[in-house]
Amino acid sequence: MASYKQLAEYCLPAASVGAAAGLIAGGLAAFVGQPAGWAVVTGLGLGVPLMLFGSGYAALVALGKVPAGVFAPAAVYWVIAFPLALLVHSVVTAWVVTGSPGLPPEPWKFLAFRALVSMGFAIGFLWMQEQLGRFWWPHILDRNQYARRVVEQYTHLATALAARKAATGRRT
Amino acid sequence: MDVTSKTSEVPEEPAAASATEKVWKAGRLEPMPIRKLPDAPPSLHILGPTVFLVALGVGMGESYMWPRLVLVFGPDIRWLFMVGVTLQAFVLLEMARYAMATGESIFFGAARIFKPLMWFFYAAAILIYMWPGHLSAGAAAFEEITGIPWQVTACVALVFVGVLFSLLSVIYNFLEKLLGLLIGLLVVGTSVIAAMVGSWDDLGRTVSGMFAFGYFPDDAMTSAWFPVVVGSIAFAGPSGMQQMWYTLQLRDSGAGMGAHIPKIRGLRAAGEAESMPSRGFMFDTEDPAEMAKWKGWRKWVTFDALLLFWGITMLVTISFTVLAMSAARENPNVASLIEGGDRDAALKAMSDAFASAGSPILGTLFFAFIALIGLNATLGLFDSFSRGQADMTYYFVPGAKRFSMSRLYAGFLWGVILFGILILLFGPADGPAGILDTLAFLSTFAMGAYCIVLLLTNNMLLPKAIRPGPVRNVIIGFGAVFYLGMLFYCLFRFGVAVG
Repeated sequence: MASYKQLAEYCLPAASVGAAAGLIAGGLAAFVGQPAGWAVVTGLGLGVPLMLFGSGYAALVALGKVPAGVFAPAAVYWVIAFPLALLVHSVVTAWVVTGSPGLPPEPWKFLAFRALVSMGFAIGFLWMQEQLGRFWWPHILDRNQYARRVVEQYTHLATALAARKAATGRRT
Repeated sequence: MDVTSKTSEVPEEPAAASATEKVWKAGRLEPMPIRKLPDAPPSLHILGPTVFLVALGVGMGESYMWPRLVLVFGPDIRWLFMVGVTLQAFVLLEMARYAMATGESIFFGAARIFKPLMWFFYAAAILIYMWPGHLSAGAAAFEEITGIPWQVTACVALVFVGVLFSLLSVIYNFLEKLLGLLIGLLVVGTSVIAAMVGSWDDLGRTVSGMFAFGYFPDDAMTSAWFPVVVGSIAFAGPSGMQQMWYTLQLRDSGAGMGAHIPKIRGLRAAGEAESMPSRGFMFDTEDPAEMAKWKGWRKWVTFDALLLFWGITMLVTISFTVLAMSAARENPNVASLIEGGDRDAALKAMSDAFASAGSPILGTLFFAFIALIGLNATLGLFDSFSRGQADMTYYFVPGAKRFSMSRLYAGFLWGVILFGILILLFGPADGPAGILDTLAFLSTFAMGAYCIVLLLTNNMLLPKAIRPGPVRNVIIGFGAVFYLGMLFYCLFRFGVAVG
């Protein structure tokens, strides 16, 4: 149980990226005068799947299945996850508007196009996750084995920096 | 993991050159003492000083000029964008070669070759970049969302940037983090919007157009469109002097021999700034261990150039082109407005088209991202301009060394801010109409000129072991011919500078 809690805690930055996407969509819907219910549905329809898939990727990194900070696995993961997240969003939106859930027209083309665009999302996701994570992970390092493990993956970076510091010396 | 900001931990002290010291003689100025090259960070991270170049480079070219050309001439015209951005990726790598090998800016390199070259860039930077017109697109988009007049937003943004940069202890670290986050948001956001409104067919045509090499319709050769095409190529990726400023950001990030140069501080902490050495440094290229480290640095910067710079620039422009195509499909009026060249009207029409096609959110979101692009460019531009001018002033204006580099930076920053506010309130934001052509000419001319400077610095000032190979030289040489050739062809054939 404690392990799940730690995993969830570690995944917070990744989930935040999906939450940010949902918040932007929902927040702006409200801002431009859409009914509150509509704004919430749009925000959740996009934000929740992206949060879940984002957390899924972070969990793979935390469990050592995927190396931290490397682009290729993130690209492969999101080429599947991103189209699915947008499919969920489309189905949910159609449900709210028409009253019954329905797939978008030409679902395969729908998925294929979003699979191509996913490359961009993968870069942005990885980037933002690292930006947020470098504030969050050191904060929970003492009590969270997953954060510790991921930060340790950067050990050779620290080693390289230390060696460099020694090599450079104090003279200029 | 923030790799680059950690480089600030490398201790630096003022130079204490001794008479017997080993040095590298480069050009006419003071020789560079030999120092150890620091170890390169592993390239698994996806952060680096290239965020500045992305922030500056992803602007109106990507979000407006190229989508416009695609609507006018069809997606096949995008091969020229592909050539432009790829060329810029090579320029980035060569700029980095000089900056990482010496810890000097490319301006210093130009002065080592021939000082008037450096003075040309000094004057051109002031003429091109002191006008606050670049703020208008982002601030106008913000006005569409909030109703706040754009001049008010622009003036507040100017003062905000000045105060912020003055209060910071080390400016580079903060800006790298902030721009990293903002660009991350931009990339995530544009992907999501493009996924929501675009279609497979739009994307297919946009991407295949990037490989339609040689396509050049007759209409593009007219006096109305050729200058626009040339201007758009020059604005593919970083334009004007932005690549030259990148060498300063590399230095401040501590990349390569830049680790031996102190960082620029905000005005509040300017007193704590370490004294600046009077020139850069060189490493021992005959030592295999040092050369192995150099290869590590080249790998690191290549990773930055390919994934961050080339990848993100391509992604954003493809996304915006897909958006423009879907907007034109929804509302034919958009196509005629975009072709007409009224930027604000065209952006508004695109926003409306998205709003009617999907939901009002999409229209607002579109403006939010134009505003975000404007904010990124403004933050990057003010910092870079001040950095470049401070660098040249400190080293080459007699008597300037009694001020620290950080104080000179603050002086240029506040100078351009106050001038910008005055112009926004009382004058033409883009510069006086009479000199607009000259400014556009200078901006593209600087790009051809820096290709020539790069060929000279990297082949004449660097030790043989780390000079560029023949292929790189041919590509940069092609860049010089490409930019200058198009510019002068435009001028002599049609009598106008770039559009």
